[in-house]
Amino acid sequence: MSREKDAANYALVFFAALSVLLLLFPASKFAHTARIAVSYSLYPSMHYGAKYGHFIRNVPANFVSLLETDQENRALKNKVRDLEVKLRNASALTAENERLASALRLSRSLPWAGSWARIVNKTPADWYGSFFIDKGSDDGIAVNDTVLGMQDDRAGLAGRVLEVYPKFSKVLLLTNSAASAVCAISPGGLEALVEGKGTWLLKMNYVPEEASVEAGSELLTSPGGLLFPAGISVGKVTKVYPRESFMNFITADVAPAVDVNTLKEVFVVRRNIPGDLTGRGQGEKK
Amino acid sequence: MSFFLEIFLYLAAGTGYWWWTQNLTVFGLAPNLLFAAALCAAILAGPVKAVAWGFFLGLYADMLGANMFGGYALTYSLMAYAVHTLKRHFDMAGLFPQLVAALALSWVSMFFYQGLSLAFAKINPLGLKIFLVEPFLNALAVPVVFQVFYGLKRRTGIL
Repeated sequence: MSREKDAANYALVFFAALSVLLLLFPASKFAHTARIAVSYSLYPSMHYGAKYGHFIRNVPANFVSLLETDQENRALKNKVRDLEVKLRNASALTAENERLASALRLSRSLPWAGSWARIVNKTPADWYGSFFIDKGSDDGIAVNDTVLGMQDDRAGLAGRVLEVYPKFSKVLLLTNSAASAVCAISPGGLEALVEGKGTWLLKMNYVPEEASVEAGSELLTSPGGLLFPAGISVGKVTKVYPRESFMNFITADVAPAVDVNTLKEVFVVRRNIPGDLTGRGQGEKK
Repeated sequence: MSFFLEIFLYLAAGTGYWWWTQNLTVFGLAPNLLFAAALCAAILAGPVKAVAWGFFLGLYADMLGANMFGGYALTYSLMAYAVHTLKRHFDMAGLFPQLVAALALSWVSMFFYQGLSLAFAKINPLGLKIFLVEPFLNALAVPVVFQVFYGLKRRTGIL
């Protein structure tokens, strides 16, 4: 241990003396020689480092740049996503605008007073049965008001208001198996009952067998019907079934005038049907 | 062979310090890798080598500066001697002693170099920012440099 201590002391004295000499005589030949000798140690960094430094010089900057690019990339991706959503919304709004403009043009030609409502809920389990609209008793909607849909610039019967709440209402579609409408078959005006089947098709019943019903015949609501105003398109006959031996009338399939699948807005016709005729009070929710 | 490896390590330490100060300074601050290398060499090497490493690394630092040629050489030589003395009383291979030693010796070295500068060159080279921050950066660098030096010593027998 003592030898080691002695060595340390000698080394310290030697190197300290060397340093002090360099400090005291910075302009001496000794200091100058020492400088030149030590300057070789700078070669790797000053000479080769500067010469080949471009391989590693930009490593930190490149790393920072990579991080910034990554952040920018994420920000741009989010922006693109937002823009895609906005674009989708914009195209949806454009389509809606066109649809509403068409509907507005059409509603001016309608002979009935009423208001437009937007479909706010369709239940997949009851797709052809009912839907909700965003107008309720606050907007003057009443039970059994007629609900029209617009298709191909024509108004068609979609159903009737079944339940009314202050802010929204439930519409019973004509395609619901519980719904029906008395119709007149064009052009003769023969009356028949059109009923929903719970599918996209309607069924026409109680047509006298001697009636000349053909596929393509148009059905309009009958003036004799109580619930719906007369003259509203209900649909077109697609197939007429021959009379069964045990029946004295014929039936037919009817394609509704309004496709429930594409319906977005409806026109609710104010009917002002006396409550005692329709049981209005039962359907209205307060 | 180990002599050449030590030369290589010495040059690598200097080059590393140069590269760091060129490319990785934050607000003009960087850990003093020459100080860290001198301290770690003093911890790991024998007495003569320890002081020699301090001296030559100090010369390297002096070459990088323009003030006093020999100032850092003296400072780091004394520091190496101090570490050599300290390691007989403390286990300098531990992390905590290294952190404390790096912090304390950084400040002591700065004060000492400041005194030398005032005495020999009548200048005041020490900036407040460096005085306040660099010791902490050194304290962070020393354990890392120590592990590198220790690994090299185990594998190649240098220091």
